[in-house]
Amino acid sequence: MTTAELPRARVRVRQLPRELHPGAWWIWALGLAAAASATTNPLLLLLVVAEAGVVVALRRSDHPWSRAFRLYLWLGLVVVVLRVLFRVVLGGATGTGTVLLDLPEIPLPHWVLGIRLLGPVTADTVLAGLYDGMRLAAILICVGAANALANPKRLLKSLPPALYEVGTTVVVAVAILPQLADSVRRVRQAQRLRGSGHGRRSLRRLLVPVLEDALERSLALAAGMDARGYGRAGDLTPRQRRVTGTLLIAGLVGISVGVYAVLDQSAPRVLAVPMLVLGALAAAAGFVSAGRRVQRTRYRPDPWRVPELLVAGSGVLVAAAAFVLLPHQPAVQDPALTAAPTLTLAALLLVLLGLVPALVAPRTSS
Amino acid sequence: MSALDLTGRAVTRPALALRPRSAAVLGLASVAGLLMFCWPLLVHVRVHGDTVSPPFFFLVLLPVVVLVVLAELSEGGIDAKVLAVLGVLTACNAVLRGLDAGLAGIEFVFFLLVLAGRVYGAGFGFVLGCTSLFASALLTAGVGPWLPYQMLASAWIGLGAGLLPRRVTGRAEIAMLVAYGVVAAYVFGLLMNLSSWPFLLGVAVPGHDGGLSFVPGDPLVDNLHRFGVYTLLTSTGSFDTGRAITNALAIVVLGPAILTTLRRAARRARLDSPAQ
Repeated sequence: MTTAELPRARVRVRQLPRELHPGAWWIWALGLAAAASATTNPLLLLLVVAEAGVVVALRRSDHPWSRAFRLYLWLGLVVVVLRVLFRVVLGGATGTGTVLLDLPEIPLPHWVLGIRLLGPVTADTVLAGLYDGMRLAAILICVGAANALANPKRLLKSLPPALYEVGTTVVVAVAILPQLADSVRRVRQAQRLRGSGHGRRSLRRLLVPVLEDALERSLALAAGMDARGYGRAGDLTPRQRRVTGTLLIAGLVGISVGVYAVLDQSAPRVLAVPMLVLGALAAAAGFVSAGRRVQRTRYRPDPWRVPELLVAGSGVLVAAAAFVLLPHQPAVQDPALTAAPTLTLAALLLVLLGLVPALVAPRTSS
Repeated sequence: MSALDLTGRAVTRPALALRPRSAAVLGLASVAGLLMFCWPLLVHVRVHGDTVSPPFFFLVLLPVVVLVVLAELSEGGIDAKVLAVLGVLTACNAVLRGLDAGLAGIEFVFFLLVLAGRVYGAGFGFVLGCTSLFASALLTAGVGPWLPYQMLASAWIGLGAGLLPRRVTGRAEIAMLVAYGVVAAYVFGLLMNLSSWPFLLGVAVPGHDGGLSFVPGDPLVDNLHRFGVYTLLTSTGSFDTGRAITNALAIVVLGPAILTTLRRAARRARLDSPAQ
């Protein structure tokens, strides 16, 4: 290799296809979802959905879960259609504005609250349902983007230490699935050889041996895990464990009180958001404290490099900007139902920040 | 059913012991979770007709609550055998849940959860409810805002199965579990509907009566009535009843055999364990 080729080689190493840390994708997607939850402007919501779609199209891998995004798009469509239909069927009669379709009204008996079915369909009815439905659909589609982009197996590997056992359980469950299929095949083969046919009891004859077999294997697996030092407990002092417990309980109390105060607007406002934040912080601290007992090393941990930081950062920025900027522009945040929705440059730019991953995330295949 | 009578008392110690502290955490988390399920019935606005937008942050807060409980329940470490059995049953539940997808109204998710919760205890049932739904969502790329709600609701089902009276055995036990399975099926449907109602139907805006949707500031009874009609129309008659019937049938037909299998595994795990 000549010296002239060296820098190029290094550049190529950096662009090697790899999968982004699944946590980064989830933070980005949840950021977009949070931004979508802050507005009912159909243009902004369409932009958010389009961004999610572009990033998924450019950066998804060949794994089976990557195809899930299409399902979420359909789901979003179903939500919007359902929402508008519910409005038209149940609440059409009370709408105001231009009448689009004059349907006859069908009064129902008193025990269903005197609800009227159908009635004149107005522009307001349809638009209100459409905007609200689009908001929910956009949130769903953002989560769908995370499903399609983040590798669930790697996500399980990078669970926080406090969830070590629960995460291991799910890993065991996912790993055991092929064995279950194999077990079903063997049991059925044995049944055919014995000549037992179909019937009311065939299901029990199939399920019980499969379950028995699986439980048998699980005990072998447990012995293997014990032999490899799985059960090694960390050395935490009783005091440290008390701290963990206190933090977890304090966190849950804070969250419960906070949620109640948010719902009951006659409660003192100090108890609402500040209490929620404090509770969540205490719970998080308890979580970290509970994780200290787990001492394990990880084989080839997923790296958290600059692209991860940029992808996660863009999601956080979009969410933060949406919650800070949009309340100052009420006409953009919640457009009136009587006029066409508008956009401002600031709103446009803030949402476009969400496209950053399409540029900075590494490709997953060459 | 004499085998059942013999093994009915075999498992006395639950697989995942609920210490007083864990019970406290679980209780608090259940209160917080229930608040987030039932929020439309609790909202209290200062001015009647104030606009209320659905609290989307619950969708982030609920997972935190669920994770805190899981961290607490596994705080002392989970025994390798318990963990392996938990993993196997999670896989079975995930497969059973995958079977439902094609058959509307026929759901096999809960019968194994109820039986396992009964045999291995409340803490085990709670964790199994969470991991089953999580694993099946991971496998089908179906992680969505509904997942934490489903996890918590099915965790409660597993928990409740573990809290049923221990002394009942034999045919009476099967009858009790069938009754519990039917109630659990309807309660699960009701809770899931309650969590999605304000999101799917929207929150009524002042001067815009939304028919069946949630009206903030209305008396509890009126909102309950609206929700009742909504849930009756959309699912109680169809999906929930289908789920209840499958639960009951599965427990009657497969229950005794599976209870015996699970108890045998529990006994063997105990026998193999080193003296402590």
